[in-house]
Amino acid sequence: MTILQEKPSEEVFTEPQYPWRKVNPSTSITNSIIVVLPISIFALSFFLTDLPGALLFIVIFLPVQILVAIFATIWGISKKRVGDAVLSVLSLVAFSFVIALMGSVLFSVFSRGLPAISLSFLTQNNTYISPTTELDYGGVGHALLGTLMVVAIGMIISVPLGIASAIYITDMKGRLAGFVRFMVQAMSGVPSIVAGLFILAAFILTDVSGFSALTGGLAYSILMLPTVARTSEEVLKLVPKELRDAAIALGSSRARVIMKIVLPTARTGILTAVILGVARVIGETAPLLLTTSNTNGTNLNPFVDAVSTIPVYIFQFLGSGYPTAINRSWGAAFVLLTTVAILFAIARIVERSTKKG
Amino acid sequence: MNIKNVRVPSSPQDVHPNKPGDANVHLETQNLHVWFGKRLILEKVNLAFPENSVTALIGPSGCGKSTFIRVLNRMHEFIPGAALAGRVLYDGQDIYDAAVDPVNIRTKVGMVFQKPNPFPTMSIRDNVLSGLKLAQMTYENSEEIVRTCLERASLWNEVKDRLDASASSLSGGQQQRLCIARSLAVSPKVLLMDEPCSALDPGSTRRIEDTIREISSDMTVVIVTHNMAQAQRVSDYTAFFLSEDGAPAQVVENAKTEEIFKKPKDSRTNDYVNGLFG
Ligand SMILES: Nc1ncnc2c1ncn2[C@@H]1O[C@H](COP(=O)(O)OP(=O)(O)O)[C@@H](O)[C@H]1O
Ligand SMILES: [Mg+2]
Repeated sequence: MTILQEKPSEEVFTEPQYPWRKVNPSTSITNSIIVVLPISIFALSFFLTDLPGALLFIVIFLPVQILVAIFATIWGISKKRVGDAVLSVLSLVAFSFVIALMGSVLFSVFSRGLPAISLSFLTQNNTYISPTTELDYGGVGHALLGTLMVVAIGMIISVPLGIASAIYITDMKGRLAGFVRFMVQAMSGVPSIVAGLFILAAFILTDVSGFSALTGGLAYSILMLPTVARTSEEVLKLVPKELRDAAIALGSSRARVIMKIVLPTARTGILTAVILGVARVIGETAPLLLTTSNTNGTNLNPFVDAVSTIPVYIFQFLGSGYPTAINRSWGAAFVLLTTVAILFAIARIVERSTKKG
Repeated sequence: MNIKNVRVPSSPQDVHPNKPGDANVHLETQNLHVWFGKRLILEKVNLAFPENSVTALIGPSGCGKSTFIRVLNRMHEFIPGAALAGRVLYDGQDIYDAAVDPVNIRTKVGMVFQKPNPFPTMSIRDNVLSGLKLAQMTYENSEEIVRTCLERASLWNEVKDRLDASASSLSGGQQQRLCIARSLAVSPKVLLMDEPCSALDPGSTRRIEDTIREISSDMTVVIVTHNMAQAQRVSDYTAFFLSEDGAPAQVVENAKTEEIFKKPKDSRTNDYVNGLFG
């Protein structure tokens, strides 16, 4: 052999290693400059002037951060990476902004809602309770049950309809597919109060029904349907055509292709569609004011009589102006958020535990 | 109904694939024309596929081989703009007759696609049984069906210890063999294969070719391939499709594989099989 070969190293490797995680010293200096310098300038200007923090953040911190990122990258790493650096800065800033926003909403609901929470608040209803009654008495039990009933009715109507219309568009490729899609799109523009008004005019003013959880659920279903249908359509489109072909070539009827192959393949996405549908309506107040009305007692019959729901409960107590009443509203808001979180968590757990393989 | 009873028992005299031209014909096309929209793709295709033999379809890319085999199990009609004229006879019955249920045809004329497409939400076992469930066939002894079909597709040894694993955990070549096992489970009389090995490693290709030879003892196989060596290894008959200068494709020559490759009658066939164009 003509090429001179060095004797290969006999080093023994026992642990897995990650050579790509090693950082060039000049890179880590550059990175620390990019992180530390703008924050220090921002902190200095914040303590030395009495301008508001938000203003300084936009006028001082953001431009400085971007400039430092650009120049430090050119100096310490490479001109080619400037785009990456700016992108990282911008996405981190946007990310922190979203987190701060979310965090402050959650924080205010938690900090102001949590003191109202007790077993009695969760389980009792609102009979004999006035806006000035101490928080030890009365609660959102009746409204929580009402919200669950109304949302459940909304789901029972909108989920099958929404999935069916998505299947009609994507898999049946029906003659009216374009029209159905157009109608669904138009429906997503219906303001929630109009959905309530429609049910009020169609069912309640005509004496077909009184205020009830059912009419509330009908109003909710108008709002949920477009979300469920459009999201389902998107996820059904993601199921590869090859799978449908395979099933048809095996001698499957259209219906079986959909039930046994398409829907199971898209199950995670369909669940997301349902969750988004619930999230769309669960805090809606206006349509319920017109369709369920409100009551202080517990009403477990979904077909007759007014029923209380959490959004309407919040609205009821917020309007009175008394501090204990406002605390009840915050407590109810906390219950609503927690309910949503629990429902979504249950959905994901059920989904995961029924997944095969 | 026991799955075994669905299969046509091969009679002793036609077990050997290289039988003379007077063999029974299961599937044939007569004066077949195929369009996409107003564009004629295939013209005057008359092909017969003798029972229990392998026919290779060869020809340049885009000449309509995939389109042709999709016509044979009524998958063509799902493509927007699809149209056809002429006849496709299965056991003497026109499969495009209004009285024929296409779902029935597809259980008798199965198909393996170019890109492996196992059902990703199902286990290996369920994939093999999926056709029986989708086609609503009754069956007993699922373990035996799974085992037999996987063995015939030469996949059994590789997966016998993980039948409950997801089908997507298999390699591309294994997935394709799983798709073949899945097609075999419904006991079709005819199996259409559209370039089944074009994306596979040599090992899987070899195994699939062995499988094709083996199943042709009681099944009629139609295979599209761009691999001339493969056509010679696996097929008894070969049909050469050609579309000249954008004209609709026709079958230029159709004969025993040996004749097509050793002494073709048409000079275009000779040029194509010797790699002079295409
Ligand atoms: N869905 C389709 N719509 C319109 N034309 C198509 C469609 N699929 C295939 N074709 C046309 O039909 C011809 C044959 O295609 P194909 O059967 O896929 O050829 P091959 O399998 O021999 O490569 C090609 O010219 C192609 O452009
Ligand atoms: Mg093709």
